[in-house]
Amino acid sequence: MKRALAILGVLALATTACSGSGGGNVPGTSGGQGQVTVRWSTWGSAEDLKLYEKFTDDFHKRHPGIRLKLESVADYEDYHPKLLAQLTSKTAPDVFFVGDDYIGKFVSAGVITPLDDQLSGPESKSKPEDFFEGIYGGAKRDGKIYGVPNDTNPEVLWFDKQALKDAGITEDPAALHEAKQWTMAKYLEMNAKLKTAGKAGSIFWNWYGSTYSMINGFGGKVWDGGKFVATTDAKSREALQTLAKGYQDKTFLSADTLPDSNGPSTQFLKHKVGFYAGGRWVIDSLKKGGELDNYDIVPFPSQTGEPMPGAVAASYLSINKDTKLPKEAFTFLTEFVGKDGQLLRLKGGGAVPSVKGAEQVVLEDKYPAHAQTFLDVRDTGFANYAEEVSVPGLTAAINEHLMKVWTGKVGFDEGMTELQKLVESKLG
Amino acid sequence: MAILTEARPQVARRAKGVRNRDGWWAAFFLGPQLTLLAVFLVFPLGFAVVLAFMRWDGLGQKEWVGLDNFAAQLSDPEFGLAVWNTVKLALLTAPFGLALALLIAVALNSVKGGGFYRVLYFMPVVTSSVAVALMWQIILAGDEHGVLNASLERWFGITGPDWLGDPGWVIVAIAVVTIWSSLGLNVVIFLAGLQTIPPQIVEAARMDGAGSLRIFRSVTLPLLSPTIFFSTVVAVISSFQAFDQIYVLVNPKYNDGARTIVYQVYELGFQDFQFGMSSAAALILLVLTLLVTLVQFAAQKRLVHYDT
Repeated sequence: MKRALAILGVLALATTACSGSGGGNVPGTSGGQGQVTVRWSTWGSAEDLKLYEKFTDDFHKRHPGIRLKLESVADYEDYHPKLLAQLTSKTAPDVFFVGDDYIGKFVSAGVITPLDDQLSGPESKSKPEDFFEGIYGGAKRDGKIYGVPNDTNPEVLWFDKQALKDAGITEDPAALHEAKQWTMAKYLEMNAKLKTAGKAGSIFWNWYGSTYSMINGFGGKVWDGGKFVATTDAKSREALQTLAKGYQDKTFLSADTLPDSNGPSTQFLKHKVGFYAGGRWVIDSLKKGGELDNYDIVPFPSQTGEPMPGAVAASYLSINKDTKLPKEAFTFLTEFVGKDGQLLRLKGGGAVPSVKGAEQVVLEDKYPAHAQTFLDVRDTGFANYAEEVSVPGLTAAINEHLMKVWTGKVGFDEGMTELQKLVESKLG
Repeated sequence: MAILTEARPQVARRAKGVRNRDGWWAAFFLGPQLTLLAVFLVFPLGFAVVLAFMRWDGLGQKEWVGLDNFAAQLSDPEFGLAVWNTVKLALLTAPFGLALALLIAVALNSVKGGGFYRVLYFMPVVTSSVAVALMWQIILAGDEHGVLNASLERWFGITGPDWLGDPGWVIVAIAVVTIWSSLGLNVVIFLAGLQTIPPQIVEAARMDGAGSLRIFRSVTLPLLSPTIFFSTVVAVISSFQAFDQIYVLVNPKYNDGARTIVYQVYELGFQDFQFGMSSAAALILLVLTLLVTLVQFAAQKRLVHYDT
């Protein structure tokens, strides 16, 4: 009898231990008082996630039957492996962010709900046409939408007026751009002058945004007819060679390789560099320096001075195909990416709205002086190429290989041959 | 005699009953462990072996590709580099780390009140590997703000290398961190080994006129050889599996000098979603580890003494 009781006790304990918190691992869960919980996930630091608090509070007030449960991962690089594991094991959240370099893969795998009908439907607060075509990137395939850009960050060139002045540069890049004289030749000439004055010309992060913007600026192509042509197209090659030469003679600095203690923001704030390629998030770094008026923005230059499409970093909000709460998941998605949602959560942040009509987020502070440039680049820009994002890890592999070329570990011609082979091998 | 004969079946029945009850209790206590072992070790291992012969992105259909994944990895220069870096790390950490631990253990064994030092040496073992990596990142920073380089400059006028950025130095830096963080565990193991050496043998050697060095070489080392052998095997396997500290200390994506086999496995699987290729790399690591361990076991027959 005692033994039977002991066994029952152990079993009861084991059952309690295994029961967890009421099925929190499966998409879409029911809570008490008729409420359902929509799980959603994203990446970001605690500071980034704070920006969602206002939206969540507001959403809870308007939808008392839906609770939002955010499951975040601090590091972008760790986020997608976790999401993949959750999707494979059917435990992924109902709604999730997807980075522009992974969206293509998830679309191919068929794990995301197509959103066209719902986005065009009466419940939608974010119609497909409310978003700029170029930034759908890999989230749109065969005319179907699988993810909605939740916000963007257009890549522009921040410039330091003080550094340019110190280098004897009297022309203002933004004024040149307005006069349609902002050419690649002029930009490279300014970089050379900065170098002669003992400064660096530009700082770039080693990502597709700055590399492909330079290629576009030279009039080259990255992908053409499904083929990677950046290493064979003459103008693209010229752009890459200019970058490689610039990195090696220190006209250009790679933000990725600068030490943390003397990183890109520090160099820019100390007037040691003329241009810093980045998005609206740079404002946060500049605020620390306190000389906000010293800085302004200009798009990447073109060969002719005419504006050209620039790169726009984007991430997408998608709905899990296996969600048990498709209606509630869509309610959250459409409000999150809709105009009101973006106005609420992007205020005071470092991103640019992806939806038309929320431009005041960027313009109301009147900073930088040419803040409109963010919107112009967004409206005409492009997210990473669909061909590239359909292969996970391809963009990272290209960047990684280019870093070897930038740092001179591999000669330029050899590097281009290897890069072509690398891309072809990844494409299979 | 008759009594004994009559009693035997009862004893046998009782013994059988006891055996049956023991069996149930054994199943009750071992069952959960064996289930966990099967679910979290045997099944994943078997799945990884099968996956190594397939092409799979984690979500779509699996496709049987035979030995293609192994061929691709074995002909991939990046994998070759990862193997070479892994071997270099093992060659640096195992001999130097164990020699240092042995010296410290011998010193602590003869010091009164060595408990305090044992705690000190053991602290890195119980510290989170991520915290360790972050601390060493500050020490080994390549610019003038790096604690090590600033000290080298100030005290010796030497400009130190970019420890974590230079592909030629990074493996040395990783080895130093690995040795530091595993030192305490090795010291404790050696201390335990030293305490099993019968003091009368040491005393006899001393009475025969042997000095401390001679005692160490002719008595301590041979009698400690099983412990040294065990620690060597463990240290080599740990070096082969090094990942977390390296990943936090230096992202091998931007520094080929830090690319190890486990990083290659991680990158192929969780960055590129090539799970078949990743499993193939993991299996090659398993075979490599087995081979090295077999060599060590072969060597122990000549070098390890189990008699006291």
